[in-house]
Amino acid sequence: MRLVMEKRTETPISLMLISPLIAVALTMISAAIMFALLGKDPGAALYTYFLDPLSDSWGLQEVAVKATPLVLIAVGLAACYRAKVWNIGAEGQFLFGAMAGGYVAIITHGSTQGPWLLPVMLLVGAMAGACFALIPALLRTRFGANEILTSLMLVYVAELLLDYLVRGPWRDPAGFNMPNSVVFEPEATLPLLMAGGRLNIGTPIMIAVVLGFMLLMGRTLKGFEIRLVGEAPRAARFAGFSEARLIITVFMISGALAGLAGVLEAAGTIKQLQPGLSPGYGFTAIIVAFLGRLNPIGCLFAGIFIAITFIGGENAQIMLRLPLDATRVLQGLLLFFVLACDSLLLYRFRLIRGAAA
Amino acid sequence: MTLFEAIILTIITASTPLLIAAIGELVVERAGVLNLGVEGMMIIGAAAGIAAAITTGSSTLGVLVAVLAGMALSLVFAALVLGLAANQVAAGLALAILGLGLSGVIGAPFVGVQRAGIGKIEVPLLSDIPFIGSVLFHQDPFVYASIALVVAVWWFLTKSRAGLVLRAVGENHAAAHALGYPVRRIRLLAILFGGGCAGLAGAYMSLVLTPFWSSGMTAGRGWIALAIVVFASWLPFRAMVGAYLFGALTILQLHAQSAGVPLPSQFLAALPYLITILVLVLIMRARRGGAAGPASLGVPFVPDR
Amino acid sequence: MNITRRHLMAGSAGLAGAALAGQQAEAQSRLNVGVVLIGPVGDFGWSHMHDQGRRRMAEVLGDRVNATTVESVAPPDFDRVVTQLVRTGHRLIFTTSFSYFAPTQRLAPQHPGVFFENATGPTTLPNMAIYNARFYEGRYIQGVIAARKSRSKTIGYVATFPVPEVISAINTVMRGAWSVDPSMKVRVVWVNAWSNPAREADAARALIDQGCDVLCSHTDGPAPLQLAEQRGIFGFGQASDMTRFAPRAHLTSSVNNWGDYYADRAKAVLDGTWRATDTWGGLGSGMFRMAPFTNMTPEEVSEATRIRDAIAAGTLHPFEGPITRQDGTVVIPAGRRLTDDEIRAQNYFYQGIDVAMP
Repeated sequence: MRLVMEKRTETPISLMLISPLIAVALTMISAAIMFALLGKDPGAALYTYFLDPLSDSWGLQEVAVKATPLVLIAVGLAACYRAKVWNIGAEGQFLFGAMAGGYVAIITHGSTQGPWLLPVMLLVGAMAGACFALIPALLRTRFGANEILTSLMLVYVAELLLDYLVRGPWRDPAGFNMPNSVVFEPEATLPLLMAGGRLNIGTPIMIAVVLGFMLLMGRTLKGFEIRLVGEAPRAARFAGFSEARLIITVFMISGALAGLAGVLEAAGTIKQLQPGLSPGYGFTAIIVAFLGRLNPIGCLFAGIFIAITFIGGENAQIMLRLPLDATRVLQGLLLFFVLACDSLLLYRFRLIRGAAA
Repeated sequence: MTLFEAIILTIITASTPLLIAAIGELVVERAGVLNLGVEGMMIIGAAAGIAAAITTGSSTLGVLVAVLAGMALSLVFAALVLGLAANQVAAGLALAILGLGLSGVIGAPFVGVQRAGIGKIEVPLLSDIPFIGSVLFHQDPFVYASIALVVAVWWFLTKSRAGLVLRAVGENHAAAHALGYPVRRIRLLAILFGGGCAGLAGAYMSLVLTPFWSSGMTAGRGWIALAIVVFASWLPFRAMVGAYLFGALTILQLHAQSAGVPLPSQFLAALPYLITILVLVLIMRARRGGAAGPASLGVPFVPDR
Repeated sequence: MNITRRHLMAGSAGLAGAALAGQQAEAQSRLNVGVVLIGPVGDFGWSHMHDQGRRRMAEVLGDRVNATTVESVAPPDFDRVVTQLVRTGHRLIFTTSFSYFAPTQRLAPQHPGVFFENATGPTTLPNMAIYNARFYEGRYIQGVIAARKSRSKTIGYVATFPVPEVISAINTVMRGAWSVDPSMKVRVVWVNAWSNPAREADAARALIDQGCDVLCSHTDGPAPLQLAEQRGIFGFGQASDMTRFAPRAHLTSSVNNWGDYYADRAKAVLDGTWRATDTWGGLGSGMFRMAPFTNMTPEEVSEATRIRDAIAAGTLHPFEGPITRQDGTVVIPAGRRLTDDEIRAQNYFYQGIDVAMP
């Protein structure tokens, strides 16, 4: 007697909706066990993690602020991964965009600025991210160099470049020689949307991007091309789609989105350039992309959920004295259960009697 | 001891953890599974290893526990990607985070505790030969283990029947399954081997290199090991070249700074990464068309009967 | 009468203090104190030591404080963490990194009833104090000892990042060394990380292989010292007493003591006497001390002790003129002394240090 997995021909909608809920429920159960083992009240811990971040306007705004860069990057990565192009360097593209957009703010600091400044910064950031992503793309198309390695190595290069720039040429002259750039002028920072929180225009931009990508992936030829190259490369070649051009396209798209996220963070939440600009957004976004099943609206929900776990983790440290490592374990468990439950969507499990064929 | 000799010795110690983790992951990827969780398995090996060594007082036990910890975490990974055919990239990342979190929990009571590192093995007589003696015959056991692993994996993959089957599974799991080979069991064994190697590499860091526990002490070496596997085009001796190249570049940039080379330290620190890319590109050009990985790498396997 | 800015600040601080004292006249039962860390508690380094400070404060004040730590807070998350600390009733918040200085400066005016303390920051606000320890005093002593112990006349320095704190530390080590032997040299390796033990060990190896036989380290971990022990040379510990890591190599350590400062500040809030101070505590203040001198001859010990006491008493000042840059320009002549702000911003090496300014 054995347990056999069979691929489903079609997935019932009910399962598609229930599966993530089951995963979340399983995560909460195992998290509750973990909290109990650590000596904390499981109910209070679960509330602190998942519900407290949503309990008031300030909390909701913070979730939006935390989720925005994650979702932006994840949407671009999802397009890449659909085409089986493994861009692991979104973190580097994020930093590069932040540097480029931040540079615009730095060189115009103290002189005339206007409403044109912010759109220019965002555009420059996105373009810079796209250009930085072009490097692993070209190395792959021209030389066949595996993009996992090249994009990953470039992350370290981008980090070191940022470090060099803020310690040297871009250092704030009035900053006691600390490694920060000048604090951006108000016109170079993102306007807030409402009082009582940090919600800024980054979030509507992110939502627009999500909607745009839903259209792109679902209804345009390009979106079809992306999916086809990933799922059936030979068919794609017969259809006349150039794999090399597509690789460059998706890399540049995801690089642009990562760069945009970078300049939005630099201009929105931090308002200057400094090392440690990113708490690993580029890597967390990979997880968000997969949790969101590589489609834009899924990325949105996954990004929001992951943002809640990060914020919940901070709250847990403050209010319950739970260590940060507990949050990491919880996030790992969440991913584990979502992946496990997703198998239910794609496969049916059956018990079969008799020996293997 | 000349400066050259000293540098060689330092390069060997810096490269060994990278090599051990990379050779394990190489076997896993040759079997067709992409495990991005190497960093998590490495650091949990480091934490479990030193925790066990301090608690029991035995280094050997520490190493054993580290290997088992790496294997245990990789077993979870195997359950996901083999048992449930989950997406391998996401599963690997999940394990990386899980491993990082668990390592912090395991290591927390041991922060600041001192422990003597595992010493070097001295081969009598031979180790007295100048230069070659200290480089080849006076190393800690992990260095010898890493070389032995590389040779063993090379022999296994190229000369043994089991290795041939594993490679077949990695290239075309459907065909291998049709021929009657137990695809998932082979992959399971490969994943466990990879996890054990990663745990061993972690133990090296916390028991030999810097014998104490500090949060996040692997500092991304697991990711570098992944890059080395790619760099090596999935060939064992190339992995050795890759690990030593990267280790050498890292050490040389430190030496350059110490000697007063007037380049920004960030630029020198970026050299290992830039040169790795450059060398990979040169290799790919020289081979004209390059080698992709095992054809079934990253594709979930579901037996159809 | 000239109303200077200082008068205005003092006046407004006084007014604010009076207003707050009025608030605090209501029973101050328990003070919630938050400590925001840039790294993990388990890094056995900078963040670990601040967490130890929190523990000591809790020890000293017992039930009167309720202390919370939040670890590995990256700059984008900082605003949220602090706001949450304020929302959950924390009235005294320590932000333990210069990366937090600008955002603390931005947040402090938004929460006038909360007291902020930023470590290693350069300026204060009415409700933001700054604090640091004069680690350079320990460096001077280390330089003197190193010059006595070194046979190769070369000190190795495992440095982190080229920030003024590190540069002035290197300068001061050499100042101390030159007071014994003007021919002393230094080699520096930048590990470009605040905590990466394996790389620190590799940096130490590089320095030792190139001829250094006394190691100073700016990272707060024991890796370079362990290397020194392995290779049979000498080294200094940093942030905590590291004798146990290197019984034969250890000379002394600069041991952080944030806890008593934290306890004092918490007590000040409880008593209503908190003021926005600029505390840069040296050996005399107890904010750090030197670990017992080990592996030194009695003469070396008494010399080091004498110098330490002189520094603590203020009779010996490591930043007295003449100070000359590498390119020969004179910063200050003999008879003058660098001000605190000048020390904080020092980003040039002294003449005689053959290390390129990165």
